[in-house]
Amino acid sequence: MKILLAVGAAVLCAVPFAGLPAFYETFLYLLLSAIVLATSWNLLSGYSGYFSFGHGAFFGVGVYTTAALAGQLGWPFLWTLPLAALAAMVLGVALGAVVFRVRALRGELFALLTLAITFVLSTIALNAVDGGPGIMLNVDMPKIAPTASGVLYLLMLAAAALTLWTAWAMFHSRFGTGLFAIHDDEDVAEVMGVPTYRFKLAAFAISCALAGLAGGIHAVFVSYVTVAETFSIALAVNVVLMSALGGTRHWLGPAVGAVAITVLLYAFTSGGAAVAGRALSGLILIIVIVAMPEGILGQILKRFGTKKAPARPVIRDPVSANPRKESAEPLLVVRGAAKAFKGVQALAGVDLEVRRGEILGLVGPNGSGKSTLINVVSGHYAADGGSIRFEGGELVGTPAHRIARAGIARTYQIPRPFAHLSVLQNVALPARFGHAALDRAAAEREAWYWLEFTGLAAKADAMPDALNLHQRKFLELARALASRSDLLLLDEVLSGLTPSEIDDAIRTIRTIRDLGATIVFVEHVMRAVMELTDRIVVLNQGRVIAEGLPDEVMRRSEVVTAYLGKPHA
Amino acid sequence: MGRAGGEDHLTVPSATLLGQSVLSGVFIGALYGLLGLGLSLSWGMLRQVNLAHFALAFLAGYLTFQFSGRLDPFVTLAVVAPLFFALGMALHWFLGRFSVTLLNTLLVTFGLTSIIEAGIQWYWTADFHRMESAYAAVRWKVGPLFVSLPDLLTLGFALTLSLGMWGVLRFTDLGKAMRATTEDAPIAAAFGVNEKLLGYLISGLAAAVAAVAGLCLALNHTLAPVQIYAWMGVVFAAVMMGGVGSPVGPLLAGIVIGVSEALTMAVSNPTWAPLVSFSLLIAILLFRPARLS
Amino acid sequence: MLEVEHIRVSYGAAVALWDVSIRIADGELVCVVGPNGAGKTTLINAIAGINRIDAGGMRMNGQSLAALPANAFCNHGIALVPEGRRLFVGMTVRENLELGSYRAAARVTRQASLERALSIFPVLRERLDSPAGVLSGGQQQMLAIARALMAEPRLLLLDEPSLGLAPTVVLDMFDVICQINRTGVAVLLVEQNVAIALEIAARAYVMEEGRIVAEGLPKELAQQHYIRRAYLGEG
Repeated sequence: MKILLAVGAAVLCAVPFAGLPAFYETFLYLLLSAIVLATSWNLLSGYSGYFSFGHGAFFGVGVYTTAALAGQLGWPFLWTLPLAALAAMVLGVALGAVVFRVRALRGELFALLTLAITFVLSTIALNAVDGGPGIMLNVDMPKIAPTASGVLYLLMLAAAALTLWTAWAMFHSRFGTGLFAIHDDEDVAEVMGVPTYRFKLAAFAISCALAGLAGGIHAVFVSYVTVAETFSIALAVNVVLMSALGGTRHWLGPAVGAVAITVLLYAFTSGGAAVAGRALSGLILIIVIVAMPEGILGQILKRFGTKKAPARPVIRDPVSANPRKESAEPLLVVRGAAKAFKGVQALAGVDLEVRRGEILGLVGPNGSGKSTLINVVSGHYAADGGSIRFEGGELVGTPAHRIARAGIARTYQIPRPFAHLSVLQNVALPARFGHAALDRAAAEREAWYWLEFTGLAAKADAMPDALNLHQRKFLELARALASRSDLLLLDEVLSGLTPSEIDDAIRTIRTIRDLGATIVFVEHVMRAVMELTDRIVVLNQGRVIAEGLPDEVMRRSEVVTAYLGKPHA
Repeated sequence: MGRAGGEDHLTVPSATLLGQSVLSGVFIGALYGLLGLGLSLSWGMLRQVNLAHFALAFLAGYLTFQFSGRLDPFVTLAVVAPLFFALGMALHWFLGRFSVTLLNTLLVTFGLTSIIEAGIQWYWTADFHRMESAYAAVRWKVGPLFVSLPDLLTLGFALTLSLGMWGVLRFTDLGKAMRATTEDAPIAAAFGVNEKLLGYLISGLAAAVAAVAGLCLALNHTLAPVQIYAWMGVVFAAVMMGGVGSPVGPLLAGIVIGVSEALTMAVSNPTWAPLVSFSLLIAILLFRPARLS
Repeated sequence: MLEVEHIRVSYGAAVALWDVSIRIADGELVCVVGPNGAGKTTLINAIAGINRIDAGGMRMNGQSLAALPANAFCNHGIALVPEGRRLFVGMTVRENLELGSYRAAARVTRQASLERALSIFPVLRERLDSPAGVLSGGQQQMLAIARALMAEPRLLLLDEPSLGLAPTVVLDMFDVICQINRTGVAVLLVEQNVAIALEIAARAYVMEEGRIVAEGLPKELAQQHYIRRAYLGEG
């Protein structure tokens, strides 16, 4: 494999010296440029799902940086390239820093905002830099190839190699895994320990920098830079098209799409045929979105890709790696927790404590605030008021991913697995990003352990939608366990299970506690609550109304009333 | 285009120039609002972001131009509007049939835009075309200011259609059914609202309004395929500022944008004008995103 | 009047109702109780046409409901007061009520229905032009019930109407429900406030885990251990 790559690289580098007509060098240059742009776009938009329509803007920033510095100010061309990349990156970071903070700004709004940026930047470029007639570039080329176009080709080849390498590296890194999780369910990713804001910003920055680099090179290629040509919408759409066509979930997908589209468009270069080319690319875009959501490469991999079965490791006991801190201090102290939604006071001042090593049952009628309390403790929602102290640190106001790192994990009442990650990958993610913070290999071993524990090992390679409800609930449980957290918040793990499945689950949860975890157990299946819990806290209408030993608490009149209601008259 | 770099300075225009600028800003804003009406409705009520709306408007404009020699533009409209109504319904069917998600409707309709734009360029070439019509020649003088008939027609259409739609939504059973479905479709259905039928109605209506916008485009502006994209940004800005799903919002926002742009152009270099609308948009998106969807 | 026979409802792969059968006679007040997750809301939503049934049949006055589209159920005299109210919060009280009588047969008698609804819930009269979202919880629940009454129903479906309401408000509301029932409207009540539900119902069903586990007269069921075990885990 490596030899093949080396030979291929050598051939590509030799092209300018082969004495081919300029047409081929130009075609290959444009092909490489398309690869750089599509692949760099995919780093944010494909991996994390934040579709940007502004890639053209950052490309344009690169073009104009080089045009201004080399064309207007006479700086050496090569030095302007890193600056072009830097300028684009800085702009991207500035935009992302504000935009990614705003929670409501997802999906189509981000797309339109980035579209708007293109217009803003083009206006600024026109007025502040260009002045209207465009910028002429007459630069001295470094003599690394016989012709000018050959030099540009080699530069773009280098840029393409850099971009592809970056995409490959990100794809296989912890960073990439986090981005893919963000793509599937950003809120859950955050709660499992992925620093979503930082990751999105970083991906955006890298994506913009690479676009800027391509732009810098392109400025010299066209040698006459105008705003209309540079900031056209066509580029923004073409990169989306190429990536969607090739497959956005794989690092090589956009490159495949770029090759396909460039070849297609090149077949239509002459006059009227260019128009037909645009129509055709529009049609292809529609067909791809509708019929081939995974793209060409994705489809091929699905059909012919052999998944190498991950090595199943020797099972070992994880307890030794998670020593329980002995302490008389309660693990979690909640005082006056309050949360309101649109006028409904879901939590109206909750006070409770969770002691180390106990299984605490959290019960109450429908609408009493149990799930809201879990959401607030885990950071899924921000509390309006009150204090939640965990291991001495204050959780209110802390971002969810830091709460996960601190050692709290939760399951979701309605399972929310990452739809595009396998069962194994789903469980390995919290092991990498959560309290345990393991490296890739260790995280995978950890995931295997918990899959065996919850009986899901046979389904490790399956996708979550192939699991039934019981299995999905246990997947939630395995995910929570894999982070090796000290405090587990289980939100109705048993609902929807058959009686024998419930017995299974009860045994499993007892074992988990014996391994050293503290568990808060929200449940309606009273049989399980009575059998499992050491203590019960009863919530009603956002407040704690009773607390104590299970048998004793459930007989108290205020609890019975809360559940069954007082008869009329 | 812009002056050669270095000549930027703010000029203080005369009152007449200011007045004319404001007036022209109002008229262009009316067109923004007209273009934004259909977009706003389908985005807000159907959760479909229809980028092809602009291409459709231009197509209608070109058709009006094409037949302007033999047919009065309004006659062309009478034929084109029902045709576009059907097209709108067909698009809605297509998006529903393939369960296209909100984000993907952007992409699919962009593909459609490319196709329509290519078709336009193939038939009418990339050259600029200006429709000659008797209406364009009619102008009135109001004090020191000039107003042309096409301007008034555009404003008239924009006001009628926006306010009309607002009225339908506010006062009629059908309109209330539309609003209820947008908020909570299953419960609206439990009370008898036929979501499917309403969907077709709204999408057809949006496309028909695009046809009207096309007529106004042809009357007032030069047509060129590349212009399709130029309007996209500003109109989206107007829709987002005015409130997605609102019929009157885009008109009001459009007028604000139009007037700001016109004043900017009167006072400084005209090429700064696009910055105004987008800066406004970015500001709104950043500070009040709750207004949207 | 209403016959639900052996219906099965699932959400994707998860089965929510297994073989559920209930019947309601003209003018009867029937309640369905059971712990959370038992499938009560799924049952009510299936009768209202919101959830599709996978198997089994439903008939209203002899006519099959199975193949109908969701918006045709109300034409058979079925009106829903959903769990959590689900009012159209962006619309005014008056508009919510008008939407309730959207179906053709109810539209003609809209004015009369409106008067009747306002006489049952006088507090809504002063707030006709307020947006539904600013009403208090109790007022919203009343509006939800009034909205359903506007559809001139023969069967009123109530899903957990006491949820989130203060105890005194709950008592008043159940008085109104009885009042409505006395005018001849059949009521299917799903409630977590078991005591009150059993007090006003003529007949009761107990559900657990997607199945009916008991049926009978409220007095008898209250004595039996079903209720206490299901809710409190005793026995």
